[in-house]
Amino acid sequence: MQRHFGEVEAVRRVDLEVSQGEIYGFLGPNGAGKSTTVRMLTTLLKPTAGRATVAGFDVATSAHQVRRRIGVALQDAAIDPLMTGNELLRLQATLHGIGRRAGRVRGAELLERVGLTEAGDRRVGTYSGGMRRRLDLALSLIHEPEVLFLDEPTTGLDPSSRQNLWSEVRRLNAEGTTVFLTTQYLEEADELAHRVGIIDGGLIVREGTPIALKEAVGSPTLRLDVLATDLDEARTVMAAFGEARPAREGRIAIGLENGANRLAEVVRALDERNIEVLTMELDAPSLDDVFADATGRRLEGADEQGEAGP
Amino acid sequence: MTVGIEPHRTASADLHPVRHLDAFVVMARRSVIGFFRQPASWIFGAAFPLLIAAVSASAFARATSLQDFPDSRSFLQFLLAGTILQGTLFGSINASTDLALDIENGFMDRLLASPVSRVSILVSRLAGAATYGAGVTLFYVVVFRLFGAPVEGGIPGIVVMVVLAMVMAIGVGGYGAAVGLRTGSAEAVGNSFPLLFILLFISSAFFPVELMSGAYRRVAELNPITYVIDACRHQVLEGFSLGEAVVGLLVAVAFAASTIAFALLQLRRKLADVS
Repeated sequence: MQRHFGEVEAVRRVDLEVSQGEIYGFLGPNGAGKSTTVRMLTTLLKPTAGRATVAGFDVATSAHQVRRRIGVALQDAAIDPLMTGNELLRLQATLHGIGRRAGRVRGAELLERVGLTEAGDRRVGTYSGGMRRRLDLALSLIHEPEVLFLDEPTTGLDPSSRQNLWSEVRRLNAEGTTVFLTTQYLEEADELAHRVGIIDGGLIVREGTPIALKEAVGSPTLRLDVLATDLDEARTVMAAFGEARPAREGRIAIGLENGANRLAEVVRALDERNIEVLTMELDAPSLDDVFADATGRRLEGADEQGEAGP
Repeated sequence: MTVGIEPHRTASADLHPVRHLDAFVVMARRSVIGFFRQPASWIFGAAFPLLIAAVSASAFARATSLQDFPDSRSFLQFLLAGTILQGTLFGSINASTDLALDIENGFMDRLLASPVSRVSILVSRLAGAATYGAGVTLFYVVVFRLFGAPVEGGIPGIVVMVVLAMVMAIGVGGYGAAVGLRTGSAEAVGNSFPLLFILLFISSAFFPVELMSGAYRRVAELNPITYVIDACRHQVLEGFSLGEAVVGLLVAVAFAASTIAFALLQLRRKLADVS
């Protein structure tokens, strides 16, 4: 699929296939094209070129059939603050053709499932961010969708709410729902997704299982902080141990073959040159390394935020 | 370039058939509930026309003795029809800002991603305005009655006024919805209000057309609001008249149809990019 907005190429080329029962993580920084892709897949935006099928139906020519089969929780928990949780669930149930009694039963089940039974008769405007997200999820599940789209479902949530939402996504998937999840959080993609597609600048730059992607990056990353006066010499020393990796200014990062086994060797080499080491970290490859390997940049929101080039 | 996402369950026999009338009713209900849960947005709109009526009735009390002024018990009784239109107009604009808010906060996307008719999504949003139009009409009728300005047409006359107010509320709501859909901004809807207010002033709302002159009179005679107000006023001052009611209703329906058509045009334009 492609999507242009005038001269702007929001999605340059996305080719992907999500299998039934899979959690597919769509990982990328802000502005990478994640939400535009989701809007196309959920029939909210027409692709400029290309074709997409969801649950067996073309999103452009059979949009109505697609809408009947998908659940959508968009980026900003689009919920009417003047309504109560119960009222919104009944509304959503009716929009999907579920009768009054069945809708009420299903709504109560879902509220219980997301831990909002007691808040069901309160106006949504009084809910916390986490409660709104959980209600948003419940609304998207009212008609038992075959495919669930979650667009950055945990953005802005505290760690506890994030864990709760992850548990619920896992449970839904275990019950058979195919999940398409966009996120800018590495940990989220790593924890939840069976397969990950990394998007940057409207292109999928890597795709695979998190384990395979990390293994493909290869060696662990050794990160080193030294005095500014020793920086050039330290770079020369480190170059002998592995290739440079993207790191923030003033820091050195290399891919260290055999990781921990060679750490003592690195320390000795630096010591021989009288280079004072301020901090030293050895990390196994992460999805951030995968992203950096593919794009030469670190992902926004990752631990090493602000890193840019070796 | 292809994207394919497979469901877990391949059979779709358990899908519920979408009942479009039920969907319309629940969306309209949401519109009404949401409107009345924001009293700050309509209480002043309902009270302000009463204040204007009180001031005008006091200032222009002797106007009823002017030649060609319609027979009436008081200037206050004369003002009832204009006050109803004014209150309806205030409330309807507020109701139509809700549609723009749906766009702003993303709730519109939730509705668009569900399998319901796009026209239902728009028209149901005006239900709050119509209900408000009915409510504010009955409220003014009671208040004016308490101050010695009854509706001579009795219950049938009041029914006519309620229906006219509801249709006009939908019409004004359609105008606000069109602005909201065009701009996606609730503030833009609010800012478009003075245009309607001017339209109200260049009508028979506050003074009879018979006593106007020149270009002002010609504009007032062409103004559709004048016909609706005159139809209401006939029920108030002279008693129930089916003929007057039909004329007013035809004009009100034409006004509402044109603004809703305009709003649907804007919706279609907005959805040009939607599958």
